[in-house]
Amino acid sequence: MEFLNFVLMFVTAWILLRQPEKERLAFRLLVASVVLMVVLFSIATRTALLPGINY
Amino acid sequence: MRRNLPYAILTLAVLALTVVPIGAAVFLLGFVYGDSPCVMCWEQRAGMAIIALIGLFVLRYGPRPRYIGLAMLVGAYGTFMALRHTGLHAARDIGQGFSLEIAGAHTYTWALLIFWMSVVAMSALLMALKESDLAAGPRTLRPLEKLAMVVFLAVTAGNIVQAFASTGPPPFMGQGDPIRFSFHPKNWVWSLEEWQPAPISVRGRWAIGKPDVASVSTDPSAGPFAHLPELSVKERKPTTLPLRGTPTDLAYDAGADRFLLTTQNGVYIVDGSLTRVLRHTVVDPGFAVDLGRFAGAAFLDGATVMALGENKSYVILRENDRADAGKNFRFFLESFDKFDEVSRSRLGTVRARMMYVMSLAFDPATNSIYTATVPNAKVGRLVVSRFDRRDLTLSEEFAPTLAPESGLTFSGEKRSLDELYVTAAAVADGRIYAISAQGVLLTIDLASRSVVAAHAIRGLVRPTGIAIRAGDLYVIDDGGTVAVTDRPSS
Repeated sequence: MEFLNFVLMFVTAWILLRQPEKERLAFRLLVASVVLMVVLFSIATRTALLPGINY
Repeated sequence: MRRNLPYAILTLAVLALTVVPIGAAVFLLGFVYGDSPCVMCWEQRAGMAIIALIGLFVLRYGPRPRYIGLAMLVGAYGTFMALRHTGLHAARDIGQGFSLEIAGAHTYTWALLIFWMSVVAMSALLMALKESDLAAGPRTLRPLEKLAMVVFLAVTAGNIVQAFASTGPPPFMGQGDPIRFSFHPKNWVWSLEEWQPAPISVRGRWAIGKPDVASVSTDPSAGPFAHLPELSVKERKPTTLPLRGTPTDLAYDAGADRFLLTTQNGVYIVDGSLTRVLRHTVVDPGFAVDLGRFAGAAFLDGATVMALGENKSYVILRENDRADAGKNFRFFLESFDKFDEVSRSRLGTVRARMMYVMSLAFDPATNSIYTATVPNAKVGRLVVSRFDRRDLTLSEEFAPTLAPESGLTFSGEKRSLDELYVTAAAVADGRIYAISAQGVLLTIDLASRSVVAAHAIRGLVRPTGIAIRAGDLYVIDDGGTVAVTDRPSS
């Protein structure tokens, strides 16, 4: 899934460089990357979402 | 921004972020040295790449508020990710950590710094913005800005290759313990381990509640042992001492025939008949070290006492009839001129680390301080910890076993000492006498680290303290009633 995320980022950057008129699509792909990053981190840490330290 | 300098600075920042933590990570650490990120590191690397990508958005379209806002959100979330990751390792022994250490810090610690700096940089950018900087339509990229885009694409392509090899295409995702990177497919491991069913928890193994004696059955028959001999109570005496709070532990000083009694934060020296307070103070539990609620008390010598909180934080006081009340205002809430504070700190443990304690005992023969754990929902293990009185540092921890010659048996296969909620302990003649909320008195031989005897004491309701006075045991409960029994001979 990290592979997919970096593919999304590559496509987004490509749009910025070669097809800048598609700003809306690029921003949506960017947001999708952000959401995917959050989802994957949450899956990886779901058994203890907060840092394991004394508060 | 029509101004060139901010764009130039931003371009350099994007290049630095792309090349140093992300580019070096994939091309040098990954392809050359074989380092593979764990799943958390992958998401932190993605976060940094996203921030760099947002920088490219600003270069292309100008500093639109939603770009900077999203960058700050990702920076904030990235800081959280790095803190969550660093928290796993920060408290280990010196030099320890996970995976690579670079220039004195591990990669997750560097990520914490980078995300924080990103938030600072975005904030600075926001402050530098003017109305005229907000433009419509794409900008014409200058050469350095085009280079930044090309470098970003190249670094992202490298990450695509490494991610494909190390984590695989969907639905596979990163792993907790990734193996070394290799370009050979036979060394690739694509795993679905992160998708395994697991309970969702906010604090995981750290979700441990404070001790709750009221939740434990007071019937010794409900404890783990089969057929316990009984120790009969030969005297019960309610105490009517003017205490602030309820009793939390008891100790005895044979040299002066006095008792030490603690409440939640009170320290009381009481006469041998338990009818008169000779001196007292109430400690400020919030000054410096968080002492919490006192749960253990011991005389360290004829004029020095120790009170221990459930969280193993302690305070040591020395009796002084000429104590400076002004100086002691910071340490105490009441009665400022009867004690001086000698020290206030914390006992550190290893096996007992994730458990609270409700007992404290001092053995003058070995100059050792003892505590015993209480079980909780996450960790259920009876651990006795011993600390050297000279430096109050851990010397030993053990989980006592049943001595074969004790004749003790458990009432079922799954029963064990770990169920016992030890609320008080005292040491004499090489033995710890530990009373549990279940009304079970353990006699633990310190040389063999084994339970040599166990007795039931019926009628105890929430015992919180135990003291040894010659051949007798004095057990106090949180209602202030003292039960006196014979000290077991075996």
